[in-house]
Amino acid sequence: MITIRELNIDLQEFHLRGINLDIAENEFFILMGPTGAGKTVLLEAIAGLIPLMSGKILIGEREITGLPPEKRGISIVYQDYALFPHLTVLENITYGLHFHSIDKTHAEKRLDRLLEVLNLFGLEQRFPVNLSGGEKQRVALARALMIEPKVLLLDEPLSALDPNFREEIRGALKRLHQSSNTTFLMVTHDFVEVLSLAGRAAVMNKGRIEQIGNVKEIFEKPACPFVADFVGMKNLFKASFNETYAVVSGLKIEIGRIVDPSSQYLAVRPEDIIISREKFSSSMRNNYSGIIIQIDNQGFYYEIAVQIKDVYFKGLITKGALIELGLEEGIPVYVSFKASAVHVF
Amino acid sequence: MKERSGYKWLMYGVVAIVLLLPCGKSFGDTTGKIIIFNAGSLTIPLAKMEKVFESRYPKVDIIREAAGSRKCARKITDLKKPCDIMASADYTVIDQLLIPAYADWNIRFATNRLVLCYTNKSEYAKEVNAQNWYKILLKKGVVWGHSDPNLDPCGYRSVMVLQLTEKYYKIPGLYQRLIDNRPKTNIRPKSVELVALLQTGNMDYAWEYRSVAVQHELKFVELPDQINLGNYKYDTFYKKAVVKVTGEKPRTFLNKKGKSCTYGITLLKNAPNAQAATAFMQYMLDPQGGLKILKEMGQPPFIPCRVPTAEMKARLPKAMRDLVEVRE
Amino acid sequence: MRREPFFWISISCGLVIIAFILLPLIEMMTAPSLSMLKETIKDKDVVRSIWLSIYTAGLAALISFVLGTPLAYLLARTSFRGKRLVESIIDLPIAIPHPVVGIAILSVAGKNHWIGQILSELGIRIMGSVTGIITVLTFVGLPFYLNATKAGFEGISPRLEKVSRSLGASMTSTFFRITFPLAWRSMLIGLIMCSARAISEFGAVVIVAYHPMIAPVMIYERFEAYGLKYSQPVAVWLVSVSLILFLLLRIMTLHKAKEE
Repeated sequence: MITIRELNIDLQEFHLRGINLDIAENEFFILMGPTGAGKTVLLEAIAGLIPLMSGKILIGEREITGLPPEKRGISIVYQDYALFPHLTVLENITYGLHFHSIDKTHAEKRLDRLLEVLNLFGLEQRFPVNLSGGEKQRVALARALMIEPKVLLLDEPLSALDPNFREEIRGALKRLHQSSNTTFLMVTHDFVEVLSLAGRAAVMNKGRIEQIGNVKEIFEKPACPFVADFVGMKNLFKASFNETYAVVSGLKIEIGRIVDPSSQYLAVRPEDIIISREKFSSSMRNNYSGIIIQIDNQGFYYEIAVQIKDVYFKGLITKGALIELGLEEGIPVYVSFKASAVHVF
Repeated sequence: MKERSGYKWLMYGVVAIVLLLPCGKSFGDTTGKIIIFNAGSLTIPLAKMEKVFESRYPKVDIIREAAGSRKCARKITDLKKPCDIMASADYTVIDQLLIPAYADWNIRFATNRLVLCYTNKSEYAKEVNAQNWYKILLKKGVVWGHSDPNLDPCGYRSVMVLQLTEKYYKIPGLYQRLIDNRPKTNIRPKSVELVALLQTGNMDYAWEYRSVAVQHELKFVELPDQINLGNYKYDTFYKKAVVKVTGEKPRTFLNKKGKSCTYGITLLKNAPNAQAATAFMQYMLDPQGGLKILKEMGQPPFIPCRVPTAEMKARLPKAMRDLVEVRE
Repeated sequence: MRREPFFWISISCGLVIIAFILLPLIEMMTAPSLSMLKETIKDKDVVRSIWLSIYTAGLAALISFVLGTPLAYLLARTSFRGKRLVESIIDLPIAIPHPVVGIAILSVAGKNHWIGQILSELGIRIMGSVTGIITVLTFVGLPFYLNATKAGFEGISPRLEKVSRSLGASMTSTFFRITFPLAWRSMLIGLIMCSARAISEFGAVVIVAYHPMIAPVMIYERFEAYGLKYSQPVAVWLVSVSLILFLLLRIMTLHKAKEE
């Protein structure tokens, strides 16, 4: 549905280079990356709200690169909702109808459906100033979908909300997506949202796309250190590789396979690190003894930093397990992980 | 020790010299401000006189306010503004509005005459001459004006010239037709403002004193003596022109009769700095001093200056009596 | 509740400022007698002059509105090289001495300047005309309108306009449906400021046009020719009429604000 070729943009501090993207019809695609990566800029470029230096954008077969925003059929929902303060909820939602000739009965049906799905009945005559954050976001979504756009762009729709509202809106987004033909393109920096909503995603950094693919793929097989770090691979080390093993600061790590000789890094997810008080035999090929340097309370989980020779590994452990194993800073422990849990790039 | 006391005396010496220096330069008692209200047409000559006088008497500061001569008089009589000397483009203004309440005497010191000024950008600039000027002023699209007769003698004098033109060339109705082609918007309070309008190309022709035209390097048309108010021999003819101007209060009027342009000057009875002002007048009315400057700048002075009666001469400050003669 | 010294100092400063402004004004407003005021307003010249002042100031504000709004919008929404220079240029009329403004406009409008030549051929006269007065008033009033309106536009998030466009509205529709309804109060304040500045202008107008006579020129002329007694009443009438007009405008805006 959305095809982007060699997009380059220069906008104040943002410089996007060589963006290539293909998004299929009715996909829920997520664009993620740290703040300043240029995600919102890319979104606004697709909507036609900022000018390009070079490149092409197509919606379906149709090239829209030169078209003004009002002719693109692409709606955008911003992080701060951007509701029109001088119009009621109903006037906000039906705003787009002034510019699209939609059959009246069809429009009314659509309006009712949106109000129902987004739970907005009773709020029609209110002004945005009298709505809660979650209500505002739902009105913004209704407004954007009222004109049945081919593409819906969402710029960090959940980040301004309280955590309780986030679940609610996430659910609404999923429902809306499934019940329509619209292609959803969402931007976020929160990986949890990615996992629950998207099929495919792309990771952006400093104006470039670092990796595109299945969410699962990105999560489990990051293509470069940056992506690895972004998706939460904490144990990221520079390594030298030799046949089926790697060496990190003098520590030998079994990989169990021959890797690309140009590889420079390896990483292990904290969840894949097993920590125990006693040595135990298992099929895991990497076993070490080390000392707990730090225990960090992450809420439901504790992050344990273990020093093995000159290398620091981080593992995750539940509170229950922490107490059961009697883990404390400074005590010796055993660390194990599978060869297959080692990611190489 | 010895060196120290040496320096001390040196310092005292320097301070003493610095304090005494100005005393050496001062010319006795001529100090302070001199306030002059003068007619607009005297601005440039007076500016030069001010420079010369102040260089001789550095402690003196001459402050000039130029305005239409009637306005100058009103500043003294109505607004009670402080003033030492009043120099008017029409000596009768001093006679009518200042004597006897504010002044005792009136010295006539210069003459002037009216000319029609223009620039090379003016309409018909290449054709205009002393014979056809009034025909050009009648043409539609020619922008010409004069100053406000109620505030400026040059204003009512310009109007008088127009009346005299009708009588001299014996063209009945010419005066009214001329006035009809001069809308109110072409009148300015001071004739000198008209010069700026000529120079920027906002006006084609303006009525001014010959001296002002010379001083501002404007082109001008010389008119016959019978109508240019410059020659007292034609006073009986000039009398035939009559202009109505405002009186003391709004909506009261008085009639001004035509007379040759004679400039008058007086020292006010309640002058704040009579001493310095007298010194200035002595310089100004000196044939080698101010009068010479007037001549150089295209404004023919009376040499010597005149007062009408011996009685008035007697009322002058002693130092000035030698500079004037009694002449009607 | 015990208040801090800072509070009392602020109140004192405030009172001093109010007194500073009000005392001379009250003195001026109460100086003429009622009979003098009646006599003055019966004078046709005075009425004509006050009406001229109001009508030329109004037109100057209207011109500022039409020409200035697009520029204000551009300055609020875009950034470009030399923007600061443009903004400084817009503020220049405020800093230039008023007679200088008049002289400058006269110089451009005369036949010695190529623009003056064109104007002359078109039959447009600046010196001594209502056109000239309106030109001067627009010159001095524009910065006030521009700055107020620009601030008004800046206060509206560009995202509102972006959303409107994504929903199918053109730039023009967006401006009239979204931007203008949110900005009109700032624009109105700008118009009030521009008009107020224009009505009170003297030094620049008196050089370009002595006749036709706007009220401030008449006040000055009467002062010079006849003194305080005859000029104060005109001033009182001008100030009163202006006050009433501005008050009405402000009440209108408050009224609308309450409605919304």
